[in-house]
Amino acid sequence: MPTDAAAIASARASGDAPILRMQAINKWYGDYHALRDIDLVVDAGERIVVCGPSGSGKSTLVRTVNLLEPFEQGRVQVCGIDVAADAITRAARLAVNRRVGMVFQQFNLFPHMSVLANLTVGPVFGRGVRRAEAHELAMHYLARVGLTDHAQKRPAELSGGQQQRVAIARALCTRPQLVLFDEPTAALDPEMVNEVLQTMESLAADGMTMIVVTHEMGFARRVADRVVFMDQGQIIEIAKPDDFFERPQSRRLASFLSRILTH
Amino acid sequence: MTTHFVRDAPIDARVAPAAAIAWPRRWHRAWFASPAMSALSLLLLALFAFACVRFFDWAIVRAHWLGQSSAACPGSDGACWAFVISRWKPWLVGNYPLAQIGRAWTCFGAFALFWIWVVRRPPAARPGPVLLGFVLLPIAFLLLLIGGGPLSFVAPTQIGGLLLTLVVTLATFATALPIGLCIALGRRSEWPLVRALCGLFVEGMRAVPLLAVLFIAATLLPMFLPRGIDVDLFSRAVIAFALFNAAMAAEVFRGGLQAIGRGQIEAATTVGLSRFATLRLIVLPQAIRAVVPALVNIMIAVVKETTLLSVIGVNDLLGAVEIGAKSPDWVGEANILTSGYVFLALAYLAVCHGLSRYSRRLELSS
Ligand SMILES: Nc1ncnc2c1ncn2[C@@H]1O[C@H](COP(=O)(O)OP(=O)(O)OP(=O)(O)O)[C@@H](O)[C@H]1O
Ligand SMILES: [Mg+2]
Repeated sequence: MPTDAAAIASARASGDAPILRMQAINKWYGDYHALRDIDLVVDAGERIVVCGPSGSGKSTLVRTVNLLEPFEQGRVQVCGIDVAADAITRAARLAVNRRVGMVFQQFNLFPHMSVLANLTVGPVFGRGVRRAEAHELAMHYLARVGLTDHAQKRPAELSGGQQQRVAIARALCTRPQLVLFDEPTAALDPEMVNEVLQTMESLAADGMTMIVVTHEMGFARRVADRVVFMDQGQIIEIAKPDDFFERPQSRRLASFLSRILTH
Repeated sequence: MTTHFVRDAPIDARVAPAAAIAWPRRWHRAWFASPAMSALSLLLLALFAFACVRFFDWAIVRAHWLGQSSAACPGSDGACWAFVISRWKPWLVGNYPLAQIGRAWTCFGAFALFWIWVVRRPPAARPGPVLLGFVLLPIAFLLLLIGGGPLSFVAPTQIGGLLLTLVVTLATFATALPIGLCIALGRRSEWPLVRALCGLFVEGMRAVPLLAVLFIAATLLPMFLPRGIDVDLFSRAVIAFALFNAAMAAEVFRGGLQAIGRGQIEAATTVGLSRFATLRLIVLPQAIRAVVPALVNIMIAVVKETTLLSVIGVNDLLGAVEIGAKSPDWVGEANILTSGYVFLALAYLAVCHGLSRYSRRLELSS
């Protein structure tokens, strides 16, 4: 089995084009303009953290990347697949999702399957990987998230932190070129947040391209290459972590930071 | 007063006391908490005891057990089980030929074994094999009972009594469940016409009484069929049952499908599963498991609905009672007919109570 670093390196080498390019994305929920003229380019190997007040459209943004949410205007080019607003088909969504992984706030593990089956179902039934190979891959990633002993358990038998680590392993098993995280630690009890953040940090250390929506500012400082600030469906500021936290340029970011960093 | 408390010796866990309150006191509290409750309890107990004694007296002490005609059951102060015992064949198998009755016993035996297997498996086990059994059994039973080829042919309309209840219930189940599932999926289809038709079917069936559906199937259906194709009464009844209960099953499945959160489907999408694979591997296994108790409840309803078959002239258990009471040997005392109905009620009670216990167990385990 190729090592993770090698696999990621080869994915990166396969094209100099950015992994993700969002161009003038606009999205409405009914009359509500949820995403407004979103332009964002993410290169292979980059770690992007997205933050912003509640309801600012962070979830909507990452969910348009893998086409879970359709959008009305603009185009998304992701992992070599080019999808315009009017060309969001089931086939396009499937193609994108076979290259992009996602980790949800609520884990969304399949409760009727063992942990191992949760990890293998995607590769085996989605991409036609042989069972033995998928099994080997699953055990590899379970070891990475430190849950080898729990392979045969049901998700409900695990703690929240363990479940989220399984969800991360499940996303990795599809060999994604890009992994999206939507507030992966927001549903966890405080003592379990760190085990999940550490797993994500080790993934980042391997060079995985990641877009992470999170309120964990320590994680953003340590891991992010760039931090994106959203408000009211717009990208207000994008900056390197140092500049982002120490030298915010926009008033809205400054006031957001003052609100979340004072305590 | 201490404002700073530190425990220096941890408290070891202790075993819970066997019962906080001794049983006579608990019992006393439950039954005789207040004077009014005591009076009510005593009254109800007395009524219950009185009813039990009267029934016991009628059903056992004064009952007539043996005999071949109404002469065996004079008077009306004792049950006439002779009527039931001497007519065991119409009760159990209807007009099924006596020479072929081994085939009927095989069905009863096979079902008994199957049911024992179903009840004894752990409630949390996968429901797939059980559902498959419910689909395959009636096919096997009908092939065996009707025969043809090496087995001599028996017209399906000759099947009656408890055998008919069994076969119709299973056949209804085996057809109504797949149709119901398809309709439930159809109601979620992206194609508006499919959605509308499936919705129309379910709403229509729910709005019409089963008896009307049965009459329509019995009398009107042949007019719609091309000439030359003749469907016997038995099959028409089963078709009506299947369609009616498919609508019921569709509603049950719809509830199960709705209970699967959007997150599950999104997660399946993000691991690269197609829509069909998501349905097959993620949605259906969870939805079906959630509705198994409700499906057993549908089965209870079907068992009881089979009594309607006698109205369109199929020999079910109820028909066996009524035909028996009209036969020359047994005309006479109203008590004879009553005994027949009581036996019928007890037979249904046994079957349906067993089913409902099973459904309760499944509900508790989930
Ligand atoms: N399915 C939906 N239908 C209608 N409006 C929606 C829907 N989903 C989100 N919205 C609205 O779109 C806006 C952006 O929502 P989104 O979930 O992307 O915010 P968020 O930044 O992720 O917030 P949070 O931090 O609370 O998760 C919100 O105002 C929300 O009310
Ligand atoms: Mg969100």
